[in-house]
Amino acid sequence: MQEEKTVTKEARPGNSKAIVIFKPFGTVANVEVGTLLLDAAQLAGVEVNSPCGAQGRCGRCKVLVEYGEVARRSNPKLSSADESQGYALACQTVIKGDVVLVVPTKEEIQRRPAIETAAEKIALPFVCDWRREPAIQKLYLEIPPPSLADNTNDLDRLKRELAKRLGIKDLVVSLPMLRGLSRTLREADWRVTVVLDMRNWLPGGSIPPRLIGLLPDDETSTNLGLAVDIGTTSVVVYLVDFITGKVVDTASAYNAQVSCGEDVISRIIYSQRRDGLNHLQRLVIKTINDLITELAGHNHIHADDINEVSVAGNTTMTHVFLGLDPKYIREEPYIPTMTVPPRVSAGDLGLAINPNASVYCMPAVGSYVGGDITSGVLSSGLFQTDRLTLFIDVGTNGEMVLGTKDWLITCACSAGPAFEGGGVRHGMRAAAGAIEDIWISPQNYEPTYRVINNISPAGICGSGLIDLLAEMFVTGVIDKAGKIRRELPTPRVRMGDHGPEYIVAWAAETASGNNIVITEADINNLIRAKAAVYAGLSVLCNSVGAKLADVEQILIGGAFGQYINVEKAIQIGLLPDLPWEKFHYLGNTSALGAYTALLCKDMRAAVVDIARKMTYLELSADNSFMNEYTSALFMPHTNLEASLR
Amino acid sequence: MPVTVELPKEKWNGKVREITLGATPAQGGTRTSTVTVGGETTLPFLHFEGSIPHRPALAVEMQDVPPQDWSTTLLEAWDTAASDPVSWAKKAVELGADALAVKLRGTHPERQNRSAAEAAETVKAILGAVGVPLIVYGPEVAEKDNEVLVAVAEAAAGERLALGNCEDKNYRTIVAGALAHGHLVVAKTPIDVNLAKQLNILISDMGLPLDRVLMDPTTGALGYGIEYTYSVMERLRLAALMGDSMTQQPMICTVGEESWRQKESKVKDGVPSLWGDFAGRGPLWEMATAMALLQSGADILVLRHPKTIKTMRETIDKLMSS
Repeated sequence: MQEEKTVTKEARPGNSKAIVIFKPFGTVANVEVGTLLLDAAQLAGVEVNSPCGAQGRCGRCKVLVEYGEVARRSNPKLSSADESQGYALACQTVIKGDVVLVVPTKEEIQRRPAIETAAEKIALPFVCDWRREPAIQKLYLEIPPPSLADNTNDLDRLKRELAKRLGIKDLVVSLPMLRGLSRTLREADWRVTVVLDMRNWLPGGSIPPRLIGLLPDDETSTNLGLAVDIGTTSVVVYLVDFITGKVVDTASAYNAQVSCGEDVISRIIYSQRRDGLNHLQRLVIKTINDLITELAGHNHIHADDINEVSVAGNTTMTHVFLGLDPKYIREEPYIPTMTVPPRVSAGDLGLAINPNASVYCMPAVGSYVGGDITSGVLSSGLFQTDRLTLFIDVGTNGEMVLGTKDWLITCACSAGPAFEGGGVRHGMRAAAGAIEDIWISPQNYEPTYRVINNISPAGICGSGLIDLLAEMFVTGVIDKAGKIRRELPTPRVRMGDHGPEYIVAWAAETASGNNIVITEADINNLIRAKAAVYAGLSVLCNSVGAKLADVEQILIGGAFGQYINVEKAIQIGLLPDLPWEKFHYLGNTSALGAYTALLCKDMRAAVVDIARKMTYLELSADNSFMNEYTSALFMPHTNLEASLR
Repeated sequence: MPVTVELPKEKWNGKVREITLGATPAQGGTRTSTVTVGGETTLPFLHFEGSIPHRPALAVEMQDVPPQDWSTTLLEAWDTAASDPVSWAKKAVELGADALAVKLRGTHPERQNRSAAEAAETVKAILGAVGVPLIVYGPEVAEKDNEVLVAVAEAAAGERLALGNCEDKNYRTIVAGALAHGHLVVAKTPIDVNLAKQLNILISDMGLPLDRVLMDPTTGALGYGIEYTYSVMERLRLAALMGDSMTQQPMICTVGEESWRQKESKVKDGVPSLWGDFAGRGPLWEMATAMALLQSGADILVLRHPKTIKTMRETIDKLMSS
């Protein structure tokens, strides 16, 4: 039996109302006539996918109107056949009267078996070896109870004990903490564990530590923190034991905001809807809370024992996480609200941990180089190296940092969603059923491929697309400009409904029973994506008078980075043609940086310093970018002489 | 007191490729004259600095069918000669054409839609009537270009025609035709250094030697984007001289076609009196465009008006003698 939820909304006099029933959930919403279907769904708590941020561009919010009257705005994503069958786009349709809707059940999203989930493999980055010092300290105190002879008040009594034990002169105590103080001390018979946030407390300094917890008895055996990487697509959390300094466990999930837009721009657009920003913030908090619940269950801990959180995310994700309006990030001249976020209490954000725990977000450089990148610079050790180093985080946005311990320059280029399977006919995310490796025979142009989870293929993910492009290039299925050679003696090359195409998997092999193909248009999108990244690298190097060949090491970070095959990426000219031994995969550098900052309190100051030190190169204001970009719209790139040198 | 000033000289490593259009009977064709362009080791007309072994060539543009959209100034100048391709070709050679640029407009599906075989016959007839090399253009509709130019290539095997235009979307068939029958190609790209270079690479990848590739960087006429063309040609030439092999192709500019396109050359009445004499305006426009592009490295100028042909010949004489 489905649970029935009813949501009502205040009606203004004179406005007619309508009842909306969502099948198969049986949820009911009571809304005004003229409400958008998508808003009604949101009101009722029904998730309707809206990857384009309700712009009517993607057609993925299709719902079936089983009964009742609606008004559809005409949209190319909805065919007349769809319309006659009763389908409507939830973001482009308003309610005219009582309706019954059928919401398609969400496609089962399965995660690729993550390579780095084994917690013991997550090493503390070397930068911290010499100074592991978490900010959270727990101390067991046995406080002499008050008497008529010793009538000091409770707070001063606690401070007196702390002064005796730690030499602390003062203590910051919030009003909510203070409210429970007297009772807790007495109920625990004056034997308590204090949880102190020493983040701002410097020995001999003037900023006092903050009291964030008071627990009965000796609870000093556990002391936990949380490092969080909020990606546009997925959220990763590390549960950290402050006593051992190790990662106890990790968990990851899709960022629930994905249903409101797949990239940051769509999210920003969504945030401008009524209640949009709050909704987005609630979704990401819920994603993190669900992961915390999962970790707590698996590891038999209380979420309340998590006493500090360190968060890394791009500038938009950080804004939304904190409930800051990201609107101006998207508009020229692209200015964020702040780059160094303030300390926030977990309780204020709704995180289900110790409500007094501090939440720190990694600082950003600008609107398009965020805390995920400064976090990467921290965890990769780039900020401490003498060698000319290039750090790349490839995703929807390709962010890159070039420099040494003395200087850092950074830029962001919009690669588009091609490497995440977007804008490609049979592209998909790296989930079960995605083709992730491909080889093509140079003799007969027949492909061999590997599918995640070894099932029938449903599409091709980013790493598969890079492979495919490289294989098609080296076997001559496409020329250097990405044009398919139609004269090849293979039935896999043909003129399709969408232009020339190469068939990767015949209908009989696939999950859907349709051919999986790559079209010339897809190839173009991929070439544009790789050209944006390569042009960014070239401009970044040129801007400091260096050649790509001068770079001594290339560090590849980001969630997608670990799946890139360097050989293939060089063949297509996504990465520069340098010896393979110069390339290093670092894994999730964003989460690792958050972890580093969590464990070493000095590293928080260091990362703010890193962010300040990084020079931001605005590619849209750089007149050489377009030239480098056109040059890179070729495989591997136009500057053949340079690559041969 | 007289002071001796030594002019600074740039030392370039690169050289523009030398390319010969047309083949004499000894070379497997039937031409009585051939045209060789390229070979420069310096920027245009800087004779003191490097060598400029060949003068820029003048090709005269003509069509297989009488033009429908040409300015009356042009139609009057060519008069009856333009009614027939053979007479047009002869007249152009009389006026001093080093080569002919034959546009097979009559094969355009929306014009007379003449067949590839008919087009090949026309080319054969012109080859029979004059001794200069030919540059042959299709109707500039990709599918039909392939059909027409392959037929022409076959019919005129060995003549070292230049076949145009090869663009990134349809270069393969035309290049294959040129390869098979001993011709050259014109590689045309839209005013961009990288795209020009990319197309040269693609063509070269098909096995056509680079001494059989002319590049057309796309011409913008005076007042209609000439500065873009000028700058891109200059950059291509600088890259060539600096040793970038894939930019060392001689450049061909369709000056006539572009400078006769706009209102100033076409409209006689109802324009400001400041625009001056209509009959002189079009040729002057064409000359000014040609003159500028000559200075940015043009090796072949494709011209339309008899007066321009004469003036440009005299100008090149002077520029080459200094």
